[in-house]
Parts: sequence; C-alpha cells; structure tokens
Amino acid sequence: MDVLSGLAQGFAVALDPINLLYCFIGVFIGTLVGVLPGIGPISAMSLLLPVTLSGSPESGIIMMAGIYYGSMYGGSTTAVLVNIPGEAASVVTCLDGHEMAKRGRAGPALGIAALGSFVAGTFAIVALMLVAPMLAKVAVAFGPPEYFSLMVLGLTILSFLTQGSMAKALLMAAVGVVIGLIGLDQINAMPRLTFDRLELVDGIGLVPVVMGLFGVAEILANIEQQIRRDIVQSRIGSLLPSREDLKASAGPVGRGTLLGFLLGVLPGGGAVIASFASYAIEKKLSRTPERFGKGAIEGVAGPEAANNAAAGGAFIPLMTLGIPPNVIMALLLGAFVIHGLQPGPLMMSQNPKVFWGIVASMYVGNVMLLVLNMPLIGMWVQVLKAPYKILFPLILMFCIVGVFASGNAVFDVFVMIGTGLLGYLMRKFGYEAAPLVLAFVLGPMLENNLRKSLILSQGSFDIFVMRPISVACLALAALLLIAPLLPALRKKREKVALDVTE
Amino acid sequence: MLRRAEFWGGLFWLALGAFVTWQGWLLELGTLNEPGSGFVFFWLGLFMSALALSITVAGARGDGPLLADLWRGARWRNVVMVIAALIAFGALFQQLGFVICSLALLLFLMTFVDPVSPKLSIPISLVASVGVWYVLEKVLLVQLPKGSWLEDVPYLSWLAG
Repeated sequence: MDVLSGLAQGFAVALDPINLLYCFIGVFIGTLVGVLPGIGPISAMSLLLPVTLSGSPESGIIMMAGIYYGSMYGGSTTAVLVNIPGEAASVVTCLDGHEMAKRGRAGPALGIAALGSFVAGTFAIVALMLVAPMLAKVAVAFGPPEYFSLMVLGLTILSFLTQGSMAKALLMAAVGVVIGLIGLDQINAMPRLTFDRLELVDGIGLVPVVMGLFGVAEILANIEQQIRRDIVQSRIGSLLPSREDLKASAGPVGRGTLLGFLLGVLPGGGAVIASFASYAIEKKLSRTPERFGKGAIEGVAGPEAANNAAAGGAFIPLMTLGIPPNVIMALLLGAFVIHGLQPGPLMMSQNPKVFWGIVASMYVGNVMLLVLNMPLIGMWVQVLKAPYKILFPLILMFCIVGVFASGNAVFDVFVMIGTGLLGYLMRKFGYEAAPLVLAFVLGPMLENNLRKSLILSQGSFDIFVMRPISVACLALAALLLIAPLLPALRKKREKVALDVTE
Repeated sequence: MLRRAEFWGGLFWLALGAFVTWQGWLLELGTLNEPGSGFVFFWLGLFMSALALSITVAGARGDGPLLADLWRGARWRNVVMVIAALIAFGALFQQLGFVICSLALLLFLMTFVDPVSPKLSIPISLVASVGVWYVLEKVLLVQLPKGSWLEDVPYLSWLAG
C-alpha cells in the first residue's frame, strides 16, 4: 500500500463522524489539561485510558493522541498569561511569552505559539507519514539483540538528558525495570516479587503507577506551597502577529520544527528537551541575544514549534518499532495493548486502518486546534481563574476514579497512593520519575529480549556486538554513560541542566 | 553525615538494591545459556546497589542539602492530611461506596487541607461526586463500588443498587 492510498484510507477513518467527535474530545481535553497547571497530558491520558475501551481501537487511540498534541497547544496559554507552564514542555515559553504579555503583547505571543505549533505539527505528521513506512521495512530485520540494545540506548539517553545527577536517573531506570518485572515470568511463568498476593500475579498496572508518580505526587508537591497566580489582566488584543513578528519568527519556527522532530524520534528525547534546545539555539543565533528573557518573539516561536514537532516525531518509534520513546507514548502503547493491537513493524500491513486513521486524524486535530483555540482564548483565561484549592480535590477524585476504572480493583488505588507518596519523596530528594516510568514499561520487553538473545547465542554476549545496529546502539549508550566522567562533557551537561533549572 | 538528605536517600535505595539482589538469588539465576527467573533481578539489584552506594557515600561526605531543609517553610501537614484521607478512602471504598466516599473526601479536602467557603465546597462536592457517579455508572457503564454497608440503610440503599 503506497502512502497516498494509505492516507486516503486514513482520512476515511478520521472523517467518520464518531472519530471526528473522539478527535474533538481529545484535542479539547488536551488543551484543557495543557491550560491547567497541576494536571498534564500524562494524568489526563491515564484517566481516560479505561474510557477508550467503550469505542473502537482507532477511536480510542485518536482521542488519546489528540490529548497529547492538544496539551502542547494549551500549555503555551498558561505559560504566556500566568507565567506557569501548563505542562513541562512549556516551561521555556514562560521566559519570553509572559514578558511579551506584561508588555501588552499577549495576543501576538499566543498567536505565534498557535501558528508555530500548527506549522510544526503539520510538518511532523507529513514526516511521520513518509518516514514511518521506510523505518518499518528496516525494523522487520530487528531481532532480540537489536531491540534490547535500542531500549538500553533509550533509557541511557533519557538518563543522560535528565536534569541533575545521572547516577540517580540510572538508579530510577533500574527501579522502574524491577517494578515492571513484578508478576509472572513471561518465559517460565514463575511468580516474582508477588509476596503471595494474587493482585500482583499479573504485575502492577501502568495507570496506577503513572497516576501516582505524576498526578498524586504533583498535587502533594503543590499543596505544600502557596500557589499564587499572576494572571495578565490587560486586554489580550489581536492574536494575529504583525508582519515583523512573522518575519522574525519564520527562522525559529523552521529550525525548531526540524530539531523538535529529530529529538522526538530519538528514544528518550521528547518535547521538553526539544523546547529547551530550540531556545538555546535561537539565543545563540540571535544578533541581539540580550532581548531573550525580555519578550523576544523568537523565544516563543522556536520552542513552541519544537515541542509540537517532537510530539509528532515521538509516534515514529512507537508505530514502527513498538518502542515508546517517552512516558506519554508508553501510555499510548498501553491503549494499543488494551485494544489487542501491537504497534511495531507489522502494524502498517496488519492494521492499516488504525495506523493511517491515526495519521490522518492528526491532520484533522491540528486544524481543529487552530480553528478552535484562537477564538477560545478568552474561555481558557476564565478556566485559569479557577482556584487551585478547588481544582486539586477534584483532580484527586478523578485520579481515584481513573485508577479504579482501569482495573476494577481497590488494590490499584493503594498502588496509586503508594507511588504518589514515593513520587513526592523522589521530588524532594531530587530523583526524577520519567526514567522510572519509561523503564517500567520497557522492563518486560528488555528482559525478554535479553534472555531470548542469550538463548539464541547459547550464552554468548557476542550476539550484541556482532550485529551492526545493536553494536551502534550499545556504543552510543556507553559513550553517554562515560560522558559525565569527562570534564569537558560534564560541564556541558551541567550547563544544560542549569539552563533547564533557570 | 546523619543530617544529610542524600545520605538517607542513598541508604534507602541501597537497602532496596540489596533486597532485589537477594530476591534474584532466591529466584535462581539459571545459566548464561538459559537465564533463570532471577537473572535480571540479581544483576539489576547489584547495579542499583552500586549506584545507591555512590550516592550514599557522596551524601556522607557532605554533598547536598540537609534533611530538614527539604521541608523548611513547606506546609507538610497538608501532605500528611491528603495521604491520610486517601488511605481512608481506599479502606472504606468498598464498604461505603463511591458517592459517600468521594463526597467525604472532597468535603474534607476543601474544609481542612486548603479551606474553601462552605457555600462553595458543599455544592461542588455534591455535584462532583453524584455527577461523576452518574456519568460512570449510567453513561459509560463503569461499575463503581456501591457500598456493602449501605444495602440496608433507608434512603441510601439506592446507592447500593
């Protein structure tokens, strides 16, 4: 099936009225959670994972994907108007976006964020459409050693790019694998770390772990501080950027799109890193870097394009290799599995309706976001005025409902409470949750492929270094692992972490 | 050394790493030709222990903040109250059912953790808990606990179906 006929089939799926409705609900909820600080796409997708069961696979996954890229749009609104990132990828938008708003230029800041996001999102979909079939053909040749090495590389990249101590990030990845392996051994059905509890035989569910580490932990971290929101009171004005704004933003949007897409494809990369990298590049390339942080439109256009392109790019490793490059894609993998689908190289040939339906729905969703969100800015501002003291109890209740509905077990609610407390303490002690969750998802696959490789090679580790793709992944992972020990590279990594903190 | 957050954090993970290693050993390592159920656990446990040891040693040498600094100025009682409320919710969920539990949780959080005027907290709690129950039970057909203690209580037995 060639790309055009695939796309035609995809549009037939995406334009089905029920799928249009799911897409709309997805982008609407995505924008809402992007706008609201304290609840991000991860929590929203975990909450709605059980709801997708009531529809067809393509409807459910179209909605989940919509939440993801919708939240990238919505996050910028909060960043510009309140100086609080609605979700992590919008942290950098606060720097210049809010400064523009304080100077009475909130409209152009929001407008360029929406336009940049649209351009980048569209580019990412076109690239996904063209690259995915090619990569799927290559991925058919992947065996257990390649999959194992690629997952090791993904976890290493994520640990390397994590803010702060790499030892802590690697430790969290190891803990994630251990938690992911709780339950029956996939090869010989031996129960592991189940402590004779029936609830643990099938392993620990993804939804309670994610809701605990991200949803509950976020709330616990927020309620111990006084949250003060300083919403820009002046009129937002016209959202259309001026000709000068568009001229100044064209380059940053182009560069941000390309960079974001490449970082999105990379296992362990993602929207947050893409937006920071784009900001750093734009500041470096600018003839007037002193304007950055004081309301430079390039500082909004580049990062917003980058985080949206990364959101699109992240679908490639999931759809073609079956490997989620970040936590959000891990949740999407969960949605595929719930519907009995296995993303990977054969997905396009075995389930073309689902694959192309999702691709086409992303075009539709991007247009919906642009058409709906620009006129709805006023409504999102009203949403932002809802006090956190009312929002957090409701979010907690939704967390409980989502977790319970995902497995119909009170045990899962306790898992969520336990991981919530763990996540809160991890924040306090400077341990990041993202490597843990990604490793939790990849853990069973990682172990399975390691053991299969060793059985295939009759116990020889040569199998990992005799295959070119595998050895390339492992060599890169090794380089990243030793990088913090080299003084020059360590300084560079620390600088990136410092930029992120600032 | 004993006041350092990094030291205690590292020590916790070191204990967990040692436990995972031990569990891996008990589950049997197998051979390289045919790795057993405990193979990955054992090596991961050792890896975790090594990393945790490096963090503990760095903490003992005086790196990082003091344990008390982590909660300085924080409203930590809110955290304790929320955790306690969630545990109580989990413990009574099956017995009292979704509506009563969520209503009590919302009212507790909006009254004691971060207080909101009763004029707001009562209607919001009522509408949210009954509304969510209605949407899940009647529209999405998701079964929520109905409350085994409510079956014989007059006026409330409708909640228990």
